Amino acid sequence: MLVIQNLQARVEEKEILRGISLTVNAGEVHAIMGPNGSGKSTLASILAGKQDYEVTGGSVEFAGEDLLELDPEERAAAGLFLAFQYPIEIPGVTNTYFLRAALNNVRKARGEAELTMTEFMKHIRSKVEMMELDPSLLSRSVNEGFSGGEKKRNEIFQMAVLEPKLCVLDETDSGLDIDALKIVANGVNHLRGEGRGIIVVTHYQRLLDYIVPDFVHVLMEGRIVKSGGKELAHELEAKGYSFIEEELAAAR
Amino acid sequence: MTTDLKAKADAFTEIFDSAHAVLNTLADGRFADVRERGIHKFREYGVPTHRDEEFKYLNLRHLNESAFKIAYGATVSRGDLSHPIVGTDAITLAFVNGQYAPELSSADTLPDGVYVGPFDELPFEVDQAFEKQFGRVANLVSKLGTTNDERFTYLNQAFFADIAVVFVPENVIVERPIHILNVSTANLGAFVAAPRAFAYFSANSQAKLIESFIGLTGDYLNVPVTEVVLESGAIVEHVRVQDETLAATHIGTQAVHQDASSSYTAFNVNFGGQVYRNDLNVWLNGSGTETRLDGVNVGTADQVMDNHTRIDHAFPHCNSFEVYKSVLRDQAQGIFNGKIFVYEDAQKTDAKQTNQALLLSATAQMNSKPQLEIFADDVKCTHGATIGQLQKDALFYLQARGIPKAQAESLLVYAFANDVLARISNEAVRQALETRLFDKLEVA
Repeated sequence: MLVIQNLQARVEEKEILRGISLTVNAGEVHAIMGPNGSGKSTLASILAGKQDYEVTGGSVEFAGEDLLELDPEERAAAGLFLAFQYPIEIPGVTNTYFLRAALNNVRKARGEAELTMTEFMKHIRSKVEMMELDPSLLSRSVNEGFSGGEKKRNEIFQMAVLEPKLCVLDETDSGLDIDALKIVANGVNHLRGEGRGIIVVTHYQRLLDYIVPDFVHVLMEGRIVKSGGKELAHELEAKGYSFIEEELAAAR
Repeated sequence: MTTDLKAKADAFTEIFDSAHAVLNTLADGRFADVRERGIHKFREYGVPTHRDEEFKYLNLRHLNESAFKIAYGATVSRGDLSHPIVGTDAITLAFVNGQYAPELSSADTLPDGVYVGPFDELPFEVDQAFEKQFGRVANLVSKLGTTNDERFTYLNQAFFADIAVVFVPENVIVERPIHILNVSTANLGAFVAAPRAFAYFSANSQAKLIESFIGLTGDYLNVPVTEVVLESGAIVEHVRVQDETLAATHIGTQAVHQDASSSYTAFNVNFGGQVYRNDLNVWLNGSGTETRLDGVNVGTADQVMDNHTRIDHAFPHCNSFEVYKSVLRDQAQGIFNGKIFVYEDAQKTDAKQTNQALLLSATAQMNSKPQLEIFADDVKCTHGATIGQLQKDALFYLQARGIPKAQAESLLVYAFANDVLARISNEAVRQALETRLFDKLEVA
């Protein structure tokens, strides 16, 4: 589904990604872990099409298309979803209006009929409940005045509504208390399964107790330096990132 | 230069000489002296130049080059009025080119004592209120400020024809909005018109006032003056919609007098005009008042939109809150000047002013000047002005959810402006203006 080969990118003169290769197949959950500044969030942003980065080498293929050639909205239409680390507040645009516009654009791209307001409200009802969102948030401006937890739940709620093929979660666990973390994980687990790939970008192992990954990759200084199964996350939790640094130093 | 200035004023004097005899047949000549004083005062000043502080950024040179005649009658049918605000349910008092138009006005049964009509033989109580305040509300004499400039109030005073009069007696609540509709159509050449309105809200009354300026055809100069009086405890929401033709010049004065514990909310919504200017002056004449002044300007092509507001906090414990927003595209130019005077006795004043502009092209421009003059020591006064482009991360966020860039941009612009309209309490009025905003921004 997603094939990243030797991806390199920089911001202004600073190299951030120095050759990342990663393949995600349908049905798999990959966790990308790493210390602050390792390039995790940059990778997530580049996949979604954020303009602030310059891709200097490598390729990304998504569902058979050259992802890097697509505009952000085309990526969304192709089935890619980024849950933002810092969801943006948009005063004056209601959550409902925004999400219906998003869903209808994505549906149009898939060749499906647009939903009327009534059909849309029906479509989202169960998802509002699953994410335990206060229904009043729907008629409020997008993320405006939402608590940190509400913003993150709103991201996963949007993901559930848009039903993407590939979900990229950028530090969705940061700033969440344990209850909110469980709700978020529950939402993600609902989307898990055949035909859908999930990438969980996180600094901590905590979220991975609830969203159990098939693969764990450690990103350091713009490279994937170690990959393994879910037990790698526990090892990192126990020993910290320094044990990998030591391993790397010993190998040099 | 002096001769130039004189020539300018002389052009208007000529119009006056040819028109005042006819104008003075109105209302049995009651306003003959008022008009004479008006033209006399306007002649002292003439058409302003950029050297006049209050017109520093507003170029009005074209007023010297146009050959205006006095406003003439025109026939407008309801079918000609497609503007969404005209379709909203209201007690309507209509004028065409400054003249009363009964055929466009509504014939309603009004609550006891309420008067909505042209100046004519006014009921006793209404006539008393009129006599007491007409012409005084708009007057800045003896108020603070070293650059007070009333020349266009004088020009209106010289040329006004019919007067829209609204009167609500004590303790009366008028549920339906009262709409003063001013239609302009210059199908027979450029004219100058001076719509005049007087609205008086007695103690503890409540009403919603809509005032609209709708242009149909041609080039003209509109110099309206509206005076609004709120006695103590009155609650008024005043929506002023300016949608003149894109060839027209509109220079308005909106003067408000608030007695103690009254509440005045104004929405100034501007879509039209080649050149638009409005001076909104609020005089707070007692304690415990609430004032909210909100504005939205949407300028495209080479439109110029100039809002001057002033609030005179003359008594203690008064609150004023002001948000003006502008969306400017192409070569459009916006101007904002917000004066807040806090007089020596006006302790515990709480005043907040915000001015925001969104520039959608490299050639659009905004000049913003907050002007706070505070002579009391225990007050809270803040102001803020921001001029910027669309927020990039918001745009990316919408795109990342599948909304195409062009649609995402319009949506953000619409949201920016609509934030103000969303506070209008009458749903039909709000929706009419949202429709017009949608249309003007060409939101997909």
